[in-house]
Parts: sequence; C-alpha cells; structure tokens
Amino acid sequence: MSSKIILLAEGNVSDIELTRRALSKSHITNELVVVEDGQEALDYLFGTGEQVDWKKSPLPTLVLLDLKLPKIDGLEVLRRIRQIPRTRRLPIVILTSSREEQDVAESYGLGANSYIRKTVDFSQFVNSIKQLGLYWLVINEPPPPPRG
Amino acid sequence: MPSVLPLLGISGWTQALKEEYIERLDEQGCVYLERILSETGRMGQLIDDLLMLFRVSEAEMVREEVDISELVEGVVDRLGKIGQGRQVELSIQPGLKAIGGRYLLEILLSNLLENAWKFARGRSPACIEFGQTVIDEEPVFFTRDNGVGFDMQCPGKLFGAFQRLHVNSEFLGTGIGLSIVQHIVHHHNGRVWADAAVDRGATFYFTIQEET
Repeated sequence: MSSKIILLAEGNVSDIELTRRALSKSHITNELVVVEDGQEALDYLFGTGEQVDWKKSPLPTLVLLDLKLPKIDGLEVLRRIRQIPRTRRLPIVILTSSREEQDVAESYGLGANSYIRKTVDFSQFVNSIKQLGLYWLVINEPPPPPRG
Repeated sequence: MPSVLPLLGISGWTQALKEEYIERLDEQGCVYLERILSETGRMGQLIDDLLMLFRVSEAEMVREEVDISELVEGVVDRLGKIGQGRQVELSIQPGLKAIGGRYLLEILLSNLLENAWKFARGRSPACIEFGQTVIDEEPVFFTRDNGVGFDMQCPGKLFGAFQRLHVNSEFLGTGIGLSIVQHIVHHHNGRVWADAAVDRGATFYFTIQEET
C-alpha cells in the first residue's frame, strides 16, 4: 500500500500540516505529495512543470483537492483533469471548507468522486481522513492505469 | 459566499498543543486550552448560523402547498435520533398544510422545535406540542414546550440577532435561531410572537399568509 501516492492540493500551509498530522494519526504512511496551487497540481499530474519529470512522477492513487486554490481554482483543476485521458479516471476527493451547495453540485458535475467538508473539530477531521484513506487506498479497486 | 474556515487550524493546533505539550502545562494552562477548543466550536456554530441567516434572507421562494405536519414529524424524528434516550412526549396535530416555500418552512420549524427540545431539557417528561389554533379568526401555528421558559419583560428583543435570554453555560446557542425564524415568517408576510413565563414553558405562534 505504501507505493500508492496521495496528492494533496491545498493552498493553506496550516491545513497542509493538519492533513499530514491527520494522516499520520490514522497510520496512513503513503507518500504524500503536496502542491500549493492549482497550476502546480496540473503540472504534477500532466508532467508539464519545469521541475516535474513525467517518468518520475507516477500518477497518484488518490487526489485530495481543495476548491480554494491560488492561481487556478479547484473546480477548474478538476475540469482540466477530466479532459485528459491520462487523468480522466483518477479518484478525486474534494476536501474543502466550502459549505456551498453549488460547490458540491459543480464538483460532482465535473466528475469528482467524493466531497468531504472539513469540520471545525479536529478529531472529526482525523476521523474523516482515516475513513477516506481506508476506503480509497485499501477497499476501493483503483481504475486500470492509463495506456500510453 | 465562500467560507474558508481557519477554525480547523485553531482547533487542530490547540489539540496538537494539548497532546504534545500537556506535561509542560499546569492545571490552569490546561483549562485555558479547553476554553480555546470550546470557543472554537462555538465560533463554528455561529458561522454556520450566520450563513443560514444570510441564505434565508437571500432565498428566492417557490410557493407550493407544504405538508407542515409532515415536516414537523421529520424534524422531530431527526432530533430524537440525536437526543437518544430522552423522554419526550410529543403531540403533533396531523394534516396541517400551508402555502409557502418548503425549504424555508423546514428551516423555520427546525429552529422552533430545536428550541423547544433544548429548553425542555431536564423536564421529565419533556412535552412538546405542535398544532394550529384560531386567534381573531386567523389560523395560527404554534409550538409549545414545558421547558424553562423566559421572562416576557423584553419580548421585542427575543427575535434580535445574537440576543440570548439564558446564560451560555445553561443552554448552548448562538442567539441567531429566532432571527432566522422571524426572517422566514416575514418572507411569508406572517407574524411571529411568543408567550412564556419563567419555569412555565414557552409557546411560539406564527402565521403564514397565502398571498403576497
């Protein structure tokens, strides 16, 4: 299970570290790749960035995507991910503090696999991370790798 | 309206401090940490309530016939699942209907019934009644509880935002619920008022006008 990479796209440093903490508390030891804005997320996934070597950046097993990302927002990132064959089937979990019904609807409309609202209470947050980690990294059968 | 909550950070890092540095804090320090955590929870509730108030005042309403009794049953059912093991005697008049916005009416009823549920805590059994009566030839809905009630000396303040008639340690709340209720009733061109006495329960009345 440890070869399965989690990509976390999150613009807020505090939330990045909290997610890291929640993962470690849930004993999820998978490699965590962090990108801090929407452009970086797409660079990583499409292998388009300067620092990113396509061959060396295998697709993550799971993407945790915040909606309020700098540069390119989360919904746009999602839209572009779904347009490319390489990432079309990638499991994407929206992990956000947005409580707008419209964001939920749009996320699913654009092909998100799940939508998790960050709670105020940290122990609830840890519990959410634990459950989603278990589900997406262990229970769920991932899509077959893209060809080419 | 986007709500980006730094609150998760506040509660998360406070929790981290508690877990990793507890030995270096004395008893008073631990009390302060607990207070930060509980206040953060309250802030979260407050933001949720304010967002609700905002949505309610912005909401566009589609008027339709709404089965009020059924909505009440639904709300009470949900409350019952949260407050497991509480003895509550319910009396809900069946078959009550009104013309209005279903979503808004559900929020209205939730707020009134949650209040009744909350303030009747400690009564054994707690009694909550929902029904319709006629006052001055006008049909009026009401919720009645046998809870702690309140002093009717400043009834005008009752529906103001942040107004609280009980101290926080007794009953949790943000003081926005009744403002939401009032907003929704006014949206339906109705009136809302209360009748209560300390330790003798409270009754909230409201009307819903079918025509704008």
